[in-house]
Amino acid sequence: MSSVSFVRRDLSSPPTSTISKLPRQIRAKSRGDDWAIFALGLICAILTSLTRSSGFLKARLLYFMTELPLQTPPYNAILEVNHLSLQYPSGRGHSPTQILNDVSFSVRRGGALTLVGPSGSGKSSVLRCLNRLLEPTSGIVRFDGRDIRSFDPRELRCRVALVMQTSVMFEGTVRDNLCIRPANAPGDFSDGRMATVLDEVGLESNLLDRDAATLSGGEKQRVTIARALLRDPQALLLDEPTSALDPPNTFLVMEAISRLRTTRALSIVAVTHQPELVRRLGGNLLYLIKGRVEAFQSFDAADGVLDARLEAFLAGESLNASKGQT
Amino acid sequence: MSPTAGIIDLSIFQVILALVLILAIIVVSVHQSLGLERDLAIGTIRAVVQLYAVGLILAAVFAAARWYWVLLILGVMIGVATQAAVSRLSKPLPNGAWIAATALTISTAGTLAYVIGIVVQVRPWYEPQYIIPIAGMILGNSMTSAALAGDRLQSDLRSRSDEIEARLALGFSGREAVQPMVRASLRAAMIPTVNGMMTVGLVQLPGMMTGQILAGSSPLTAIRYQLVVIFMQGAATAVGSLLFVRLAAGRYITPAHQLQRYLL
Repeated sequence: MSSVSFVRRDLSSPPTSTISKLPRQIRAKSRGDDWAIFALGLICAILTSLTRSSGFLKARLLYFMTELPLQTPPYNAILEVNHLSLQYPSGRGHSPTQILNDVSFSVRRGGALTLVGPSGSGKSSVLRCLNRLLEPTSGIVRFDGRDIRSFDPRELRCRVALVMQTSVMFEGTVRDNLCIRPANAPGDFSDGRMATVLDEVGLESNLLDRDAATLSGGEKQRVTIARALLRDPQALLLDEPTSALDPPNTFLVMEAISRLRTTRALSIVAVTHQPELVRRLGGNLLYLIKGRVEAFQSFDAADGVLDARLEAFLAGESLNASKGQT
Repeated sequence: MSPTAGIIDLSIFQVILALVLILAIIVVSVHQSLGLERDLAIGTIRAVVQLYAVGLILAAVFAAARWYWVLLILGVMIGVATQAAVSRLSKPLPNGAWIAATALTISTAGTLAYVIGIVVQVRPWYEPQYIIPIAGMILGNSMTSAALAGDRLQSDLRSRSDEIEARLALGFSGREAVQPMVRASLRAAMIPTVNGMMTVGLVQLPGMMTGQILAGSSPLTAIRYQLVVIFMQGAATAVGSLLFVRLAAGRYITPAHQLQRYLL
């Protein structure tokens, strides 16, 4: 609960007041308005260049100067990505690699977006830019209307939770795996709460004392989803959550995910190769090739015009094959 | 210490006689067609040249006994050790040379100051006969363990990067997320030193002790020195590898708690 109210406070009161005070102070000096504005601009320029090395300070500063006054509080998009590009710097013996190129999209509150595309098209990198496990070379990601660089990354990652392709189980029981968290991290990690969360993903609470290493693939993956849910995320990022699983387990994990869509009103961004999961999630489809957006499609809207490649994908053909046909 | 009581000074001729022993390797190499003759020849020549060069320099420094010469020698030793430690890593570490130099300098200087100033109480502190061999032993251990720890850290970060990202995604700081790998590499670096303490003297006598006994010291004097050496090597190993691993791990983690996978 406390984490939700934190955003609201931070968004509205203190920063706006400091911004609105500034012009009044300048106006109080009857002459030399131009000089004052010039000086203010100069100070801003110096501050910006001083903080250039520190991405965090710069983001804060930019946020207070540009973003805040423009914000309209009931923000509709939970995640908004603008002109995202990612490039790995050149190292010894290899040239810079372009991973993402001018990717833009948004996910509305409680909405879903599925990223599809051949392997190596940058789908996982997009996900990792959303919870800032990766730092984009340029472009802005906004969560809940705020530049994600203005959050503490650790807090951001609890609110935008990531479930990876291979479920990472730490040593110990299922309980240990659910409880794992930094020292004095807030949240309710009681047995009762854990049982509730396990139930949400379709697991029995008597699993708590099982050694996590003995779980099946599908159970492990659902434990990692439960682990993310315990942190009360607003958005869930799924990186091929079912691709390492056999069909029965795939079905169980898909069940769990689509149930969450309705019970929790979670916003979901998923990378998947499975048309079944796309169909269950609904929402929008984003087709990436070599780090570029090739097609964007609303799956819900029944306007009939579906991109041929996406249509082929949903009909169950692999994306690589359909790419060859077009 | 009583100076060189019953020492047999080797003549050049005697050393050349010892060269006959190299023949044994050559015979084995030729007989089993190992193809080592070339390397062996280079190795023999290098051993002679390197050791003579070091011997001549040390003789000059010992004769001069000036603190600045001693510091210069120590600086060169740290430089070479840094280079050796970094080159043993399987993948280049960004700013690796600076990290290794920092770790080795601090661990060596700290241990050396304690041993020279407080334990052995060498006066003046820069007496080359003491400070240079002791520094060499400390540095050698620091270097090996730092390289061992660094190599293990790199391979662990690579192979367990999913686990690191899982921790980061659960809200752990970068430092907390790599802590298990840091711990594993420190253990890997320190275990040889700890195991060495278990068997020391039983399998073979340590080189320094052997040398002291050959030079005429009583075995009991030699043992006292050897104990000091073992303890100081332990300290240098711990400090050197800890600093190296901590600084190196920091290179792979950004202030925004991200793992820089492309560096691995």
